Amino acid sequence: MGFEFSVITESLPALLAGAKLTWIITILGIVGGMICGILAGLGRIAGTDALGEEPHGIFKPITVAIRYLSGTYVETIRGTPIIVQAMFLYFAFPMLVKAVTDIERFRIEALTAAVITIIFNAGAYIAEIVRGSVISVNKGLLEAGMSLGISRFQLIVHVIGPIAFRRMIPPLGNQFIISLKDTSLFIVIGVGELTRQGQEIMASNFRALEIWLTVAIMYLIMTTVLAMSLRQIERKMKIF
Amino acid sequence: MSNIIELKNVCKSFGETEVLHNIDLSIQEGEVVVVIGPSGSGKSTLIRCINCLELISSGELIVDTVRIPEERGRTRQIRLEVGMVFQQFNLFPHMTALENVAFGPCKARKMNKSKATDIARNLLSKVGLAEFENKLPGQLSGGQQQRVAIARALAVSPKVLLFDEPTSALDPEMIGEVLDVMKNIAKDHGMTMVVVTHEMGFAAQVGDRLIFMDDGRIVEEGKPSEVMKNPQSERLKDFLGHVKHH
Repeated sequence: MGFEFSVITESLPALLAGAKLTWIITILGIVGGMICGILAGLGRIAGTDALGEEPHGIFKPITVAIRYLSGTYVETIRGTPIIVQAMFLYFAFPMLVKAVTDIERFRIEALTAAVITIIFNAGAYIAEIVRGSVISVNKGLLEAGMSLGISRFQLIVHVIGPIAFRRMIPPLGNQFIISLKDTSLFIVIGVGELTRQGQEIMASNFRALEIWLTVAIMYLIMTTVLAMSLRQIERKMKIF
Repeated sequence: MSNIIELKNVCKSFGETEVLHNIDLSIQEGEVVVVIGPSGSGKSTLIRCINCLELISSGELIVDTVRIPEERGRTRQIRLEVGMVFQQFNLFPHMTALENVAFGPCKARKMNKSKATDIARNLLSKVGLAEFENKLPGQLSGGQQQRVAIARALAVSPKVLLFDEPTSALDPEMIGEVLDVMKNIAKDHGMTMVVVTHEMGFAAQVGDRLIFMDDGRIVEEGKPSEVMKNPQSERLKDFLGHVKHH
């Protein structure tokens, strides 16, 4: 049983379909994860001097609550394996719904569960990237902004944001690639992504070498595209 | 002339340490006040309290009719009228010189972009940096950066400018260009200025009043030439001796 190139060409349509699904889950996960991560990352430092001056009056307890909420989210997600999160959402969550409500036939599509899992999982890690970059911004720049009389919102959007974002790009690249590869774990809830397609073809023809080599190359192409797009963004930004 | 800044019995503590003790100070519109004193004497804290970068611990602060602490929610109003120039320049590193200066009028004063840019160009040429408008801060020398920072503070047309050791981070040959710009602002704009500095020449030439601080208190104040000529306290005599040697 030597290396048969025809095995690859025959399985290519199924593998490409799997790769397409992997790509879709990843992109949705990255976009959703960024939104989640920016909110939770800023949430973890809400009301601290990293975002301008500390609030007073009624805002103080509110920011404390936001910090705890964001912290709990990040620690819960970071503290459990993604595969457990996916299984919990797909298998256990409908049971939980059934137990606490009267809804009998509640279920989540495997693909939906996969997308939600990757969004919340990536979001927790991105939150730490956001937090780290924001607290690294020189406090003198915040003071310069504040002393001009701009609002906190303007300070975050025009001063902290652009400076912090530049510093987020390298660790974001890491996280995007990790998220892409993490989609392969959704094999356990039956999502027909690239790894599952490979597994199924392999189970019927036992051509492990050809199939896993092709699968690996397809992952490599997708991660390279991600890495190169981030490099492009990095280059386009002014150097400072 | 009315007082634009008033501090009444102001104290400021950081944790257990009190760094300003019962400060009483009134500054008139158009006055140039120079604050000197050894390091750790509370001079930076004093001016940082004026634009609420530090919140006073007790006492009362009145800046252009806004009262602190009662009207704590209006600190932005104070900052619109009180600009600040920092020792470390603190220019926004992702903006060009022109964008740095236009930022304040555009965002804080809600001006449209072309008008804000006009103001910024005008100010940049006033500080002698017209041809550097498209440079990023990282491409400018320390003296040039500080001149851009002064233009940035002026751009929101504040009533008061605070200077926190504006020349202390500069190479000696660049100190003159920054001081010249500050002198022009005092002369042409009739700007109220509070300047923390070690530049005694500047104090004598431009200052209306000299304040000597030590250990969180105002120890002596008066006309700069007189205070410098006839220091009353031993501490000021000692301090002036040290400053003159450099």
